[in-house]
Amino acid sequence: MEPKLFHIFRNTPLGRETLLQSVYFCKTMGAELEIYIPEYTKFLMYFENDVVQIDLDASYLTAPETARDHAAALAEAGKTRYGFLAPKHFTASTLPDIPTHFDFMCCPRSISDLSSKMGLGYIGPRVRRIVQSAQFPVLITSAAFKPWQSIAVFFGGSANAVKSLKLGLRLSRITGMPLRMYTQMENYSKADYQKVIADNGLEDAVANETAEWRFFETSDFGVNLYEVAHDALVILGAFGHGVIRDVLFGSKMEKIQSIMPNNLLIVGPKYAAIH
Amino acid sequence: MKLSNMWRKPSRWAVFRIDDRPLLMVIGLIVGVCSGLAALALNRSLEAMFEWLHHYRHYWWAFILPGAGAALSSLFLDKVVKEGAGHGVPEVIYSVSRYGGLLRFRSAWSRLVSACLTIGSGGSAGPEAPVVMSGSAIGSNIARFFSLNDRQRVTIVGCGAAGAISSIFNAPIAGMVFTMEVVLGEWTARNIVPIAIASVAGTEVSRFLQGNQIAFSHPGFHIDLADIAACVGLAVVTAAASVLLTRALRSMHHVSARVPAAPWVRAMIGGCAVGLIGFALPVVMGEGYHSIREMITNTFEGGVVIAAAAVLAKVLATSLTLGWGGSGGIFAPCLVVGSLAGLAYHRFIALLMPSVDWVPEGCFALLGMAGLVSGILQAPLTGIFLIVEITGGYGVILPLILVSAISTTLCHYVEPASFYLKDLMDRGHLLRPGTDARVLSDLSVMELLETDCITVSPNMSLRDFIEVIKRSHRNHFPVEAEDAGEFVGMIQLHDIRPYLFDPVMYDAVILEQIMDPRPDVIHPNEDLLEVLQRMDAKRLFSMPVVADRRFLGMISKATLLDQYRKELRVQTVISG
Repeated sequence: MEPKLFHIFRNTPLGRETLLQSVYFCKTMGAELEIYIPEYTKFLMYFENDVVQIDLDASYLTAPETARDHAAALAEAGKTRYGFLAPKHFTASTLPDIPTHFDFMCCPRSISDLSSKMGLGYIGPRVRRIVQSAQFPVLITSAAFKPWQSIAVFFGGSANAVKSLKLGLRLSRITGMPLRMYTQMENYSKADYQKVIADNGLEDAVANETAEWRFFETSDFGVNLYEVAHDALVILGAFGHGVIRDVLFGSKMEKIQSIMPNNLLIVGPKYAAIH
Repeated sequence: MKLSNMWRKPSRWAVFRIDDRPLLMVIGLIVGVCSGLAALALNRSLEAMFEWLHHYRHYWWAFILPGAGAALSSLFLDKVVKEGAGHGVPEVIYSVSRYGGLLRFRSAWSRLVSACLTIGSGGSAGPEAPVVMSGSAIGSNIARFFSLNDRQRVTIVGCGAAGAISSIFNAPIAGMVFTMEVVLGEWTARNIVPIAIASVAGTEVSRFLQGNQIAFSHPGFHIDLADIAACVGLAVVTAAASVLLTRALRSMHHVSARVPAAPWVRAMIGGCAVGLIGFALPVVMGEGYHSIREMITNTFEGGVVIAAAAVLAKVLATSLTLGWGGSGGIFAPCLVVGSLAGLAYHRFIALLMPSVDWVPEGCFALLGMAGLVSGILQAPLTGIFLIVEITGGYGVILPLILVSAISTTLCHYVEPASFYLKDLMDRGHLLRPGTDARVLSDLSVMELLETDCITVSPNMSLRDFIEVIKRSHRNHFPVEAEDAGEFVGMIQLHDIRPYLFDPVMYDAVILEQIMDPRPDVIHPNEDLLEVLQRMDAKRLFSMPVVADRRFLGMISKATLLDQYRKELRVQTVISG
């Protein structure tokens, strides 16, 4: 079966841009698009060890009479296999349960707050909870539709970074797009990072399937990010630390999402990598 | 695993890997204390709110108070915490049966605030269901914090519910029994010990902070045979009152849903109506424990008509409060309606047979409470132990058992599902341990998929097909279009039986002519219970799984039942 991407459709111009990103992702990946047109402003997602209530911004309920047609038209124009998700289970009469067995999920930077709050540096609390709890990577899209032409993986040597790299390699194989790796050198040498790659059995894959592995040796990570292609899909791991893990991800992830307007594919701590 | 993370995952410690019961007991103790504190917080808040609003109750506009409280409660739930109204117990049961007891953190406190606003302002509801929701959510989130698995989390959710009920009623056995009978729906040794500890912890918290008070102490009753015989009639009356309350609550909910107004406006209308009823019969206001004390101590004024009218008024007030959007539970209203029903029944039989030396009416009020709780929850043990504990003695245990048993049975005839379970059963969401639905809910179509099928083409001749049959051990063959690979039908061995003994037909017949072009198919996302029911209804032993017009594999009844047995064994061993 094809992988599935879950998308919550917002029947607004912003929602159209987000859906176009999903359609492009599915078309490029050969994935199936599962569209949910919400009837209520809230729903629950039951993950393995967490339940997340998503309180949608009211704009998700805009013009429900045209929402299905608009979503179908965009999916058909993108020649993507798609379907509409109808919740089967309800925790309360106005609180549907949305399945969590998807392979990917697409989110704008926020789904609970007004769209006017969205911008670089802001990822809403619900999207963060989804990233923390989901077994699938979350595609956080840029505000306007922009097809990505390459894949950029940020590799910092952590377990999550290894998972991100595996995902990047998988995407690169499926899409045929070039994969570039980026590492910000901190307290470790190149050999240390290469050892992590070797320990995880990725030595050959990295040698043969990546177009470039770039090591940033200057200290300002923010400045170095200019080197990343503007039209790359950025894949990176996100793992919250300490008691504020639900509020903040790691510093690199926060920096990247504050500076880069690219589409981000974020791998959370619960993601089970398929290589 | 990092040392800093190890304390978050105690179930992985070597000491708990073999037997996790000590771990569950420790966490149960913590949860029992926390849920007991939550229950006390609501209790104290209600007392403070009653006291604060008491001075305003004699004004003509006081009927607005329950309306305002219900409206604020609805606004709080809808706009601030974004939860639906209702008492929450079905949500806990749903979560336990389907999602291993996962509950939102906000539920740990949201219902306490909303119930305080509704009940404290005079709405006719009880604080018990909100504290069950709160305690369960506390348990669920503590279990999540310690990364417990589903089975352990369910036990800890039960600990939360038990601790809360035990604390609010100062009744440890009732808390334990309610949890096992109503919330978890199973009695297993593995669950009982942590839940018992949580009950004790919740009760001790209550006793430590507000003393060892018996909620409805009574002088003691001497019960004769005539009284016990009269209890049969009382059971019938309480069963009728249970059904009336259940149906009134449900119908009022449907009526209010048709009112084209915002939820908080509807809650306000319901609350104001309760306020108006309260002018005539103050017994309907709030949780009503004060009135119960009067009834049990034989000081409730008025005759049989007043008592009977109060039963109807309380039923109406409760359905107006909860059915129109107020927040709270039905436990306390059950106790009030039950005691009023018992009182009315006693006064009626005393009028009919004045020569009989009946037990004081307080005894029947007490028995009525047990009848109502048992009837509406269809949980006789909860009714019996709750009344024993909140009245402080076993003196009336025999008629108590009688009334509870008969009331539960009669209610079950009229309403097969209890008040808490009715909606869940109607929606097919109740998965009690050990049931088909529960066992199959842990399996999926894709897990049972048999992919060793040989696909054939619609243009294949019968001769070629016979060759295929020779190297296959299956009786079913999916037919796929040659060009697009789409699933176009199924062919079974018995489809070719008419041609099998006529070799002339071997080259004359192609599969497209004899295949079934519209077989029953299964979608990968279908529930296995539905699949099994379809197989049973259509007498099928095997069905193809198809997605996007592509054949994925077969599901056979033999495999399904085989996996069912394995899963049942896993679930039984784990829960046993």
